[in-house]
Amino acid sequence: MSKGRCDATPGREGIGDVGTSDAALVRRVRAGDTAAYADLVARYRDRLGRYALHMLGNREDAEEALQDAFVRAYRSLARCDDPERFGAWLYGILVNRCRTTGARAARRARRFVSDPTALETTPLPGPAEQTEWDDIVRWALARLAPEAREAFLLKHVEELEYEDIAQLTGAGISALKMRVKRAREQLQAILREAEHV
Amino acid sequence: MFDDDAVERVVRYLRRSVRIDPALDHRVMEEIAALPAGPAVPAGGVWRWLTGRRLTLTPLGALGLAAAFVVAVVGVWRVRAAPDAVEPALRGFQFVLVEPHAANVSLVGDFNDWDATRTPMHRTPGDGLWSAVVPLEPGRYRYAFLIDGRLWVADPTAPTTRDDDFGAPSSVLTVGGL
Repeated sequence: MSKGRCDATPGREGIGDVGTSDAALVRRVRAGDTAAYADLVARYRDRLGRYALHMLGNREDAEEALQDAFVRAYRSLARCDDPERFGAWLYGILVNRCRTTGARAARRARRFVSDPTALETTPLPGPAEQTEWDDIVRWALARLAPEAREAFLLKHVEELEYEDIAQLTGAGISALKMRVKRAREQLQAILREAEHV
Repeated sequence: MFDDDAVERVVRYLRRSVRIDPALDHRVMEEIAALPAGPAVPAGGVWRWLTGRRLTLTPLGALGLAAAFVVAVVGVWRVRAAPDAVEPALRGFQFVLVEPHAANVSLVGDFNDWDATRTPMHRTPGDGLWSAVVPLEPGRYRYAFLIDGRLWVADPTAPTTRDDDFGAPSSVLTVGGL
């Protein structure tokens, strides 16, 4: 992950680094000023929350993953080798927490359908029931495979470079490009379906 | 074209700012305050010491490991953390993979947030054996091996998890209490 790219990416939009830098806050936390961590949480809450929300599809799970990521990051702050890149480092933790939370949510869902075949063939709520664009988008995202949704969001919504996504996810660049391509194709098909219903 | 336009519309929509309940900050800080130790307490020194070691295996052990293809070996020592450490007690676990054709192998799992850069495995010269040692506290961990940065491999000698996140194979290791 290139330094400059990562510094800029997680918080590209919106919040500027006005005031104390991430590195200075990290150093204060490491020195025992726990309250300084609240500033980091406030700084990154919304920007990372966007990814979690889109990835997991509901606020409850997103906030759980986000909270877990912040606490884990705090506990592991000694392993943040470059405090200037705290945001990118935190981002990586969140991506993994979303995976775990997403898997747990999938398990919860499976409890209600004990037959895996039935689960696979059970249609999601149809687009006819979704009148708002917000619902359509969430419905479309939910129909993507988790790895495709992850790659699509990181590439197109969070606007990360493939090299950065590879670092965050552990997947190869070729595989990621394929996932993004397939995600776009699937979204096109899903949206076309929504258009015709 | 409708399709591309539609996807781009979705992208633009998803890029909008999202507002998360600021009460989350309070919950995070409360959880942090309840932690048994302060911030940023390194297991780091122990971690680096452990992961940086090259392990030597007896010929018999190496043969057994090769025949089994992959073996996770129960820990060889215990590390008592500093009194103010986050982890009250750790045990070292050695993970081994035989993969003669790999250029690099990483161990990824719940214990390192599935970060492929955090636990590179070390190759024993001449036999295609890759190993890494990870200090773990009691708990249940999912893990996998990442070969050449692209191929996820579960440990065939360990139970496979049914709750893998994205369909990628992974294994499970349960560390009992001390």
